[in-house]
Amino acid sequence: MSDNPIPEDNVLKAGRKRPSLEAGRNRWGWFFVAPGILFFSIFSFYPILNAFWTSFFNKKLLSLKAPKFIGLLNYEKVLGSADFWNSIRATLVFAVGAFIPLFVLSFLFAVLIASRKRFQRSFQMALYSPAVLSSAVAALIWLLMFDPRGLANQAVNLIANTPGTDYKWLADATMVQVSTMIVYVWKYVGYFTILFVTGIAKIPQSVNEAALIDGAGPVQRLFRITLPLLRPTTVLVSVMILIQCLKTFSTQYLFTQRGAPLGPINVLTLNIYNTALRDGNMGKASVMSVLLFIAMLLLSWLQLRVSRSGEDDL
Amino acid sequence: MSSIVNTQAAGRRFAVAETLRSALAILVLVVFSLIVLVPLLFMFGSSFMPASEVMNMPYRWIPQQWKWQNYVQALAGNDGNWIYLRNILNSLVVSLTIATTTVLISASVGYGLAKFRFKGRNAVFMAIMATMMIPFETVMVPLYLIVVKLGMQDTYWGLIIPFLTNAFGVFLMRQYLITFPSEMLDAARIDGCSEVRIFTSIVLKNSGPAAATLAILSFRQQWDNLLWPLLVAQREEMKTIPAYIVKFAAEKNADEGAMMAVAAIASIPVFVLFFTLSKYFLGGSAVYSAGKE
Repeated sequence: MSDNPIPEDNVLKAGRKRPSLEAGRNRWGWFFVAPGILFFSIFSFYPILNAFWTSFFNKKLLSLKAPKFIGLLNYEKVLGSADFWNSIRATLVFAVGAFIPLFVLSFLFAVLIASRKRFQRSFQMALYSPAVLSSAVAALIWLLMFDPRGLANQAVNLIANTPGTDYKWLADATMVQVSTMIVYVWKYVGYFTILFVTGIAKIPQSVNEAALIDGAGPVQRLFRITLPLLRPTTVLVSVMILIQCLKTFSTQYLFTQRGAPLGPINVLTLNIYNTALRDGNMGKASVMSVLLFIAMLLLSWLQLRVSRSGEDDL
Repeated sequence: MSSIVNTQAAGRRFAVAETLRSALAILVLVVFSLIVLVPLLFMFGSSFMPASEVMNMPYRWIPQQWKWQNYVQALAGNDGNWIYLRNILNSLVVSLTIATTTVLISASVGYGLAKFRFKGRNAVFMAIMATMMIPFETVMVPLYLIVVKLGMQDTYWGLIIPFLTNAFGVFLMRQYLITFPSEMLDAARIDGCSEVRIFTSIVLKNSGPAAATLAILSFRQQWDNLLWPLLVAQREEMKTIPAYIVKFAAEKNADEGAMMAVAAIASIPVFVLFFTLSKYFLGGSAVYSAGKE
C-alpha cells in the first residue's frame, strides 16, 4: 500500500473503499502461497522434526512393535561406536582432500579464463561438461579407468616411468580414498570455475586498469586486487564446496558395490543409508542424520558470519 | 629522444611478455580441458569396443573392431528383459514432472510473496528460505517412512513427491517477479480478469527466462538423483537410470563395453540439453550460487 501513495484529496473523496479492496485482494496472497506452505510443512519441517524425534527411539524399519523411547541411548551407541568415528574420519578426509584441489584448480582456471578475451565460453563448456553427467555415470567411467588394466595405471606408468606397476586404485585402502577424490574433483571443477569466473567478472574493470597504469604486474594485481575484491565469492564457493563434499554418496556407493573396501570410504551419507536400509536401524540412522544436519548448519552459519564481517570491511 | 626509444623498447618488452603469458595461459587451459575431456572420450569410444579392447594395454582410442552390439546389450540388460528402456522412461517421467511442478508451484508461491501484502508474508518467506539449510540426506529417512506410510513405494508418486518444489525455486521466482510491472496486473484487474487468470495468463507467460533456468536445474538434479530412487524403488521396473547403472555395474559378468554403452545412453539426453541450452546451464549455476549468497 505504501508504494502506491494516493494523493490526499483523492483519499478524502474516493479512498474510503480502497483499503478494504486492497486488503481483500491481498488475501489472494495466501491462496498463491498455500501450496508452498503445505509442501514445506510436510516435506521439510515435519521430516527434520521427525529425525530429531526418531533419534530418541529404538525404531526398526521392519518391526511391527511400537518403537520404545530410549532417551539418549542411540546417541551413546553411535558416539561410542568405532564405525561412526571411522565415517567421520572418512568424510573429513574426503572433504579436505577434495576441497583443496577443487578450490585451487577452479580458481586458477577462472583467473586464466577471465584473462582471455576469446574462447572464454569454449573453455568454460569443456571444463563444465563432466558436471552435466550423473554422478553414477561419472563413477562408472572411472571404475573402468581405475581397473588394474585401465587407463589410470597406464597414464601414471607412462608419466612416472614405472612400467607394469599396479597402483591398486580400487583395492588399496589409501588409494581408494584418493580415487573417490579424483572422481569428485574431475566432476565438479568446471562448476566451481564458472562461479569464480562470474565473481571475477563482477570486479570493476576500472580498478584493474588503474593498477595497470600504476605499473602493477599480473602477480601483484592477482594478490592485491583480484583476491581481496573476490572475497565474497571465495567465501561462498568454499562453503559450497565443503557442503557438497559432506554430501558425497554416489561414487563411494558404486565403488563398494563393485567390491572396493567399505571401511576407508564409508562416508557419513553411505553409513546412514546402510544403517537405515541394510540394518533397518532407524534410530541410529536418525542420530547420524541429526549430527550431519548440525555440522552443515554450523558451516552455513560460519559462511554468514564471514561474509557479513567482509561487508563491514568494505 | 633517448627516453622515447626507451619507452618504445619497454613497450615492446611488455608486449612480448604479454604474448608469452597469454600463450602460457592458453596452453594450461587447453591441456587441462583435454585432461577433463579424456574420460568422456573414453566413455564414448569404449561404448563401441568389445570388452577385450576396453581393457587392452595399451588402450587404443579408436575401436579396432566396432561393436554396435554393446548398445543392444546395454538396453536389453544382462538377463535380456529390456528393463533399461523402462528405467529410461521412468527417469524422463520423474524428471520432467518434477521440472514442471517445480516451476508451477515456485511461480505460484513466488508470485504470492512478491506481489501481495498479507500479514505474515515475511514469516512465510523466511520459513521457506530456512528449509534450504536442511540437506536432503538428513531428512531422507523420515521422508522414506512417510512414503512407506502412504503406500507409495515403487510408484511414480513416491519418486516425485518430496521434490514437487524447492526453496531455491521459490526464491528465484520471487526475485524475478518482484521486478514484474504491477501496472500490468492492475490493468488486468480493471478489465475484470480473475486473480487466477492473471497468474496463469499474465504472470506465468512472462516468466520465461527464470522458469527455463529453474526447469533445467530441477531436471538435471533429478536426472542425477540416485539416493532417493535407491530407497523408494525396490522393484526393477520402477528404478531410474542411476539406479540401473549401479545394478548393471555391480553384476559380476557385466561386459565393460556394454557398461560404457549404458553410461553413454544415460548421458546423451543431458548432453543434447547442454549443447543446445548451454547459456542456461552456465548462467544457471551462477544464479544458483547467487541464491545462496
